[in-house]
Amino acid sequence: MKTALVKKTSTGTNGKRAKGLFTSFWNEFKRYKYGMVGVVLLLMFILVVILEPLILPFPEAGSRWRDITYWQDNPDNAAPAWTNWFTAKDKTPQQTLKPVNLVEQNEPGLSFVDGEIPYNYQYDDPPTDIAFRAMVQGDVSFIVSLVRPDGTELPLFDTHTASSVPSDFRVSLNSATIDNVFEFVRGYEDPSVTAVYNRRTMNVMNVLFAKAQPGMLYNPEPMKGQYTFKVTSVTIGAGEITDARMEVAGKVFGIMGTDSAKRDIWSGLVCGTKWALLIGITTSLVSVVIGVTYGVVSSFFGGIVDTVMMRIHEVVYNMPLLPIIIVMSAVFKPNLWTMIILMCLFFWTGSVRTVRSMGLQIKEETYIEAARALNASNSRIIFKHMLPQLIPYSFASMALAVPGAILYESTISLLGLGDATIVTWGQILQDASNGSAVLQGLWWWVVPPGILMGLMGMTFAFIGFAMDTILNPKLRTR
Amino acid sequence: MYWKYVLRRLLQSVLTFVVIIFIYSALFNTVMETTLRSQINEQIQGEMMQFATSGLTAEELKQHFENRKERLYEQYHLNDSLPSRIFWRAIDTLTLNFGKASTIKSSSGSSDVMEIITEKIPNTLLLFLTASVIDVIIGIALGLKKAQKPNGRMDRWTSIITMIVYGLPTWWLGMVFIMFFSYVIPIFPSGGIHSIPPPEGGLAYFLDTLYHLALPVLVLVIVGFWGRAYLIRNIVLGTLQEDFIMSARARGLSERRVLFGHTLRTAAPPIVTMALTSMLLSISGGLIYEGIFSWPGMGNLYWIAVQQNDIPVLMGNLALTTALYLMGLVILDLIYGFLDPRIKVGGKA
Repeated sequence: MKTALVKKTSTGTNGKRAKGLFTSFWNEFKRYKYGMVGVVLLLMFILVVILEPLILPFPEAGSRWRDITYWQDNPDNAAPAWTNWFTAKDKTPQQTLKPVNLVEQNEPGLSFVDGEIPYNYQYDDPPTDIAFRAMVQGDVSFIVSLVRPDGTELPLFDTHTASSVPSDFRVSLNSATIDNVFEFVRGYEDPSVTAVYNRRTMNVMNVLFAKAQPGMLYNPEPMKGQYTFKVTSVTIGAGEITDARMEVAGKVFGIMGTDSAKRDIWSGLVCGTKWALLIGITTSLVSVVIGVTYGVVSSFFGGIVDTVMMRIHEVVYNMPLLPIIIVMSAVFKPNLWTMIILMCLFFWTGSVRTVRSMGLQIKEETYIEAARALNASNSRIIFKHMLPQLIPYSFASMALAVPGAILYESTISLLGLGDATIVTWGQILQDASNGSAVLQGLWWWVVPPGILMGLMGMTFAFIGFAMDTILNPKLRTR
Repeated sequence: MYWKYVLRRLLQSVLTFVVIIFIYSALFNTVMETTLRSQINEQIQGEMMQFATSGLTAEELKQHFENRKERLYEQYHLNDSLPSRIFWRAIDTLTLNFGKASTIKSSSGSSDVMEIITEKIPNTLLLFLTASVIDVIIGIALGLKKAQKPNGRMDRWTSIITMIVYGLPTWWLGMVFIMFFSYVIPIFPSGGIHSIPPPEGGLAYFLDTLYHLALPVLVLVIVGFWGRAYLIRNIVLGTLQEDFIMSARARGLSERRVLFGHTLRTAAPPIVTMALTSMLLSISGGLIYEGIFSWPGMGNLYWIAVQQNDIPVLMGNLALTTALYLMGLVILDLIYGFLDPRIKVGGKA
């Protein structure tokens, strides 16, 4: 009972002292403007991770990043939507069109639904495709036509589907309407033109949104105004149609555009943030803790223990880091966690030498001698008296090790050896490098992931360098 | 005394290399042997094809090749116990006997791993040494400038830039630069070490290589020198706190004399070490960077070997990279020992 009480008070004072130390450290840290910028940036990154469900346009982006069906309604290689602000010609953005004015008629064994899907088209560059989507159950036929601003009604397609369970139904106008649209064009174009520009070379979207006049095939002039898709569904027997809509895959898309696999890059970047933080912080935390403990133990015991430990350290330290990690990843095909372990296996060496030399100094302090005289155990001296002295240094080197870990993960991902179940910034860049994004100048695919990586590296560098400057007063003035 | 130091350092590093190779051998034993076995099987398959018309019965043929396979396994110690197999794989590597590549070929068409790798080494050295030299020169100049007025406006701004580029992937900047300077504004080639076909004549060839070298070196330097300048500033500032600097100032020497005469001489060994270490680290860390520029060096070879899953090339490349890396560390220590008089006379640094 008595010992418990004593222990409690002693931790109490320790806690208070630690708190006081932290406050004074924080007060000093606040004087470094760039350190504060780092802290603010870090909080912003954390905020992005916390608010991920709110700012993610595609909720399943993280888990279905490599599932092409999840992204099929998007345009491919589309620039960010805000690029329209800087160009004279407005490109059609991505849009989901919902039906209005549903009229239902029921006859024995049959039910008809008439609906209209309005589309206010005010752009210069037509979409890449429009897809009709619905969840369909039962035996259903769809008849779809388009009423254009000039009053012409153009039949688009009629199609039939049957399914006993609710299933995804999708019709791409680009492929389903070729014949009808070509018929329509033939009413305006000269036969000599339609002979050269045949069905296969015709761009359906260009024609659908062009003024009906000669030249609409090879030099379409966009017709702005109110378009209406008229949809009639005929259900035989029992059936249900839900979530009917038109997905306009524009030429520009969302905040960061899309890649060649139609994926929303913004979603990928947001999902990648948490992995970057996780990989960076876990790796640096584990490896610095191992390294600092290793250095202290080595310096504390000295003699043969020190010699052996430093030899082991030297061997690991002398291995070229990136090549060995690449080869190990290529051979063992790591997932996220094994990759973190892999990096920790080599990253811990970074802090050992400095810590050891600091430990050698601390070891000679009189309070260590006093602790020894009081018959304190070795582990007590190491963990109670020596390690706490090194905590500030450890935090600084932890912060400075984070960017390295992120960099290594992205480099391994660039080689295509990353964990395929998650999406990281490095993997987005790998896809960009494979998808010849550089060659095609798809900057929205190449630039943002690197900027984010640099920004995160900068965040931790700001924090780490500020701590470093506080800890090494020599660096401040001459 | 210096020679004793040199000898000791060399021995030590050879020993380290041997230990590291044994570690590699233990780590990658399974995959190395799988490759070796499949290569032996392939070889025997090939021989079988030739023997098919020799008039021997199928049974005799089978027996003959079973024996031959056994002999080859025996020759490569594949039937031994695990420690012995690890030992022999390590010996193979240490004697630079890397075997045959699975798919990759050298420019002369040989699939000897040693030849494939050695023809890449000069290219890697050319790229990274050029970049490092420029980098270190700018770094030292800027670092001294920063140390002259610590916390001055210039010092602060350049330090901020150091931190901004701290976590920037060099290969990413390479991608961005290629995009803008090879495709948007086509003033630089997008990759490779020279045009295809390479121009005739010594001077034209040299200029062509230089032209291809420009963009990758530019990117490496842009990212690199800030960090070096920052470290040099810190080393110089550390030296400026020493007592002999105070006494030099007390004697009324000019700040220039103090900085270039006294400080720089003392700070030279750590500066040289730092410059060379960061150079070594940048080579080891920047290897992948070559892939972005299709620069035919060792880093690009890693990239290709990973993509084609060519294990022998990967292993050989790793062993040679390690050897080069260790060699670099030795050279570094030798220069340090040469610059630091305490080591020359056998004292402790």
